[in-house]
Amino acid sequence: MSATTSIAVPRLPGADDLPPGHGVHEHRSRRRDRRTFWALAAPGLLGLAVTYLLPLLYMVRMAFNRGKPDGFIEQTFTLDTLIKPLTDSYYWKVTLDTFLMGLVVAAICVVISYPLALFLTRSTSRYKSLLIALAIAPLLTSAVVRTYGWMVILGGAGLVNSTLMHLGLVTVPLRLTNNMTGVVIGLVEIFMPYAILVMMSGFGRLDPRLEEAAASLGARPRAVFARITLPLTLPALLSAFLLIFVLSISSFITTNLLGGGAVHVLATEIYDQATGLLNWPFAAALSVILLVLFGVVIAIYQTVTRRLRLDA
Amino acid sequence: MSTPKLALVDLTKRYQPGLAPAVDHLNMEVEEGHLVALLGPSGCGKTTTLRMVAGLMDPTAGRIVVDGEDITSIPVHRRGMGMVFQSYALFPHMNVAANVAFGLRMRRLPKSERLERVRRALDMVQLGYLAERETKALSGGQQQRIALARALVVEPTLLLLDEPLSNLDAKLRESMRGEIRAIQQRTGATTLFVTHDQDEALDMADRIAVMNGGLIEQFGEPSEVYERPRTRFVAEFIGRANLLDATVVADRGPSGADERRYDVQVPGFGAVGAVGAPGLTGATRTMLVRPHRVQVHCDPGASGSPGTVESVSYTGDSVGYRVRVGDRAQLAEAPTDGRIAAPGDVVRLDWDPASAYLLPEEEER
Ligand SMILES: Nc1ncnc2c1ncn2[C@@H]1O[C@H](COP(=O)(O)OP(=O)(O)O)[C@@H](O)[C@H]1O
Ligand SMILES: [Mg+2]
Repeated sequence: MSATTSIAVPRLPGADDLPPGHGVHEHRSRRRDRRTFWALAAPGLLGLAVTYLLPLLYMVRMAFNRGKPDGFIEQTFTLDTLIKPLTDSYYWKVTLDTFLMGLVVAAICVVISYPLALFLTRSTSRYKSLLIALAIAPLLTSAVVRTYGWMVILGGAGLVNSTLMHLGLVTVPLRLTNNMTGVVIGLVEIFMPYAILVMMSGFGRLDPRLEEAAASLGARPRAVFARITLPLTLPALLSAFLLIFVLSISSFITTNLLGGGAVHVLATEIYDQATGLLNWPFAAALSVILLVLFGVVIAIYQTVTRRLRLDA
Repeated sequence: MSTPKLALVDLTKRYQPGLAPAVDHLNMEVEEGHLVALLGPSGCGKTTTLRMVAGLMDPTAGRIVVDGEDITSIPVHRRGMGMVFQSYALFPHMNVAANVAFGLRMRRLPKSERLERVRRALDMVQLGYLAERETKALSGGQQQRIALARALVVEPTLLLLDEPLSNLDAKLRESMRGEIRAIQQRTGATTLFVTHDQDEALDMADRIAVMNGGLIEQFGEPSEVYERPRTRFVAEFIGRANLLDATVVADRGPSGADERRYDVQVPGFGAVGAVGAPGLTGATRTMLVRPHRVQVHCDPGASGSPGTVESVSYTGDSVGYRVRVGDRAQLAEAPTDGRIAAPGDVVRLDWDPASAYLLPEEEER
């Protein structure tokens, strides 16, 4: 899964999403509604099944095979391949690093994008649409191009280091590429447009009248933010966080290029195993770990939003 | 008069330089405990005025004075106003009690007092049983009353209501009028009430400010604004009106405190009587006759000016006529107990001279 291809905004299914009509007294019209629903959903579901579900099942099945040193796959049904990374402390560290990288990138990205999204949502300027277009314009260039851009900017003789050295702030160039710092900087910038878009589309509940009502009732600007603005925008903020987290831990190109082989996360390990060592079963096993990580985070997200009674 | 509760001094708001101001040198004084309706057509600057008083918007020029103190530059959160928005603006992430408690929380009141005052405020709007409910699940009328309780619980210096009834259905609107008025009188809260509905203003207000194009055309008691409008605009905006061109012929002596009775000449009606300010002899003025003051005589021998009935509308309480007299149609509203004329009938119209009023000369602006 590459970071450049998935723009999907997460709309996670929950109990609320069950089709209507679970009562005892089902009406005929409701049954017809449901038939229409399935008829309309069928092409999409079929497409998803073929392009997503089948490969996914194939991948999971692959994790139960055994990879042989010569690159051949032994068709079998064993837990060894899956257990191997769990018993190897190296893969525990890779998993932990992946998780931390996702958290850090999502946190920084959301914190930087939140004020921008708030400003763009509230702006009444006639340049508003232009500003929004500018904010998401980076999506017009591919992430690969932007990653190379960052490599130039952050490199030893790049813009940042030459400026800092020129100003005499540092004597030795800072190491900003081929490490986690570079990866985080690159990912944050590349994912910001997504974060801004998700937040802006989720700020619908923020009626400016609510903030005015709070202010008229004696709330200082800071209290208005803490008690009205933030709680009402928190669901959108959490969705953006989840999206950026998922995109980060599954991103490969930026991680690989800016990491320069020194950053080891699940995505890079999977790539190495699959294309370098041709050990597909082991790559599949690592992918399953990545999937479990997704699952854990989505479960946490759902619990949090439920707990906060925010998913209205 | 003692210091007014609220005084607006040359209050002006210009949204964009070059454009006509939305509120233009507005002056007004509101007495303590009064409910004042800001009444006018959509776009005349009512909301803008209210938002400036609330502190949600800075005036371009002018001053806002409360209890003799200039508050123009005091920020909204220190003005202590209670505002009710047209959309109610209840906080969707708080239940009813938390909404009402919000202002008290911001004032850092101890919990026991807070709970007590929230309880009293909810009882006042008779919604105590909803305290723990989510606001989404409430009906429009309930949300309206919660918004009112939330604004009143802080004992605001002024209660500001922006078209509070316009989102309710007709039946509920009627009953909420009485309820809001009763609560306002019980609490004694000086209130500014924005509305475009003249019935609402007449029914509820102690004083009505009729606004037009950013200006107050007239400020006065409901009966005064209705019976003695200062301009054609006010006469037509408040209630229905027959406006006739009258030439004042002769002064027939005093009528009431400082008005005179006149003989006037009206095209289509000939010589009729009217009242107006002193010194109008020889002038031409617009004459106002309210439709329900016009008497419709079906009997051909009766006195009055003849006209042809163009249309009849029967409402049960009364019957409304459009009657063509000369080249203009006039409105009349008659009780339903007499004979009801039909379209095409010739009827005679007249009125008590005391109920025909000659408007003052309009100033150019
Ligand atoms: N934020 C704004 N920017 C520019 N013009 C505005 C704004 N708000 C209101 N206006 C204009 O000011 C005038 C008065 O508006 P408003 O006070 O809302 O009228 P009302 O409440 O009486 O309907 C209108 O012509 C309206 O178009
Ligand atoms: Mg308005």
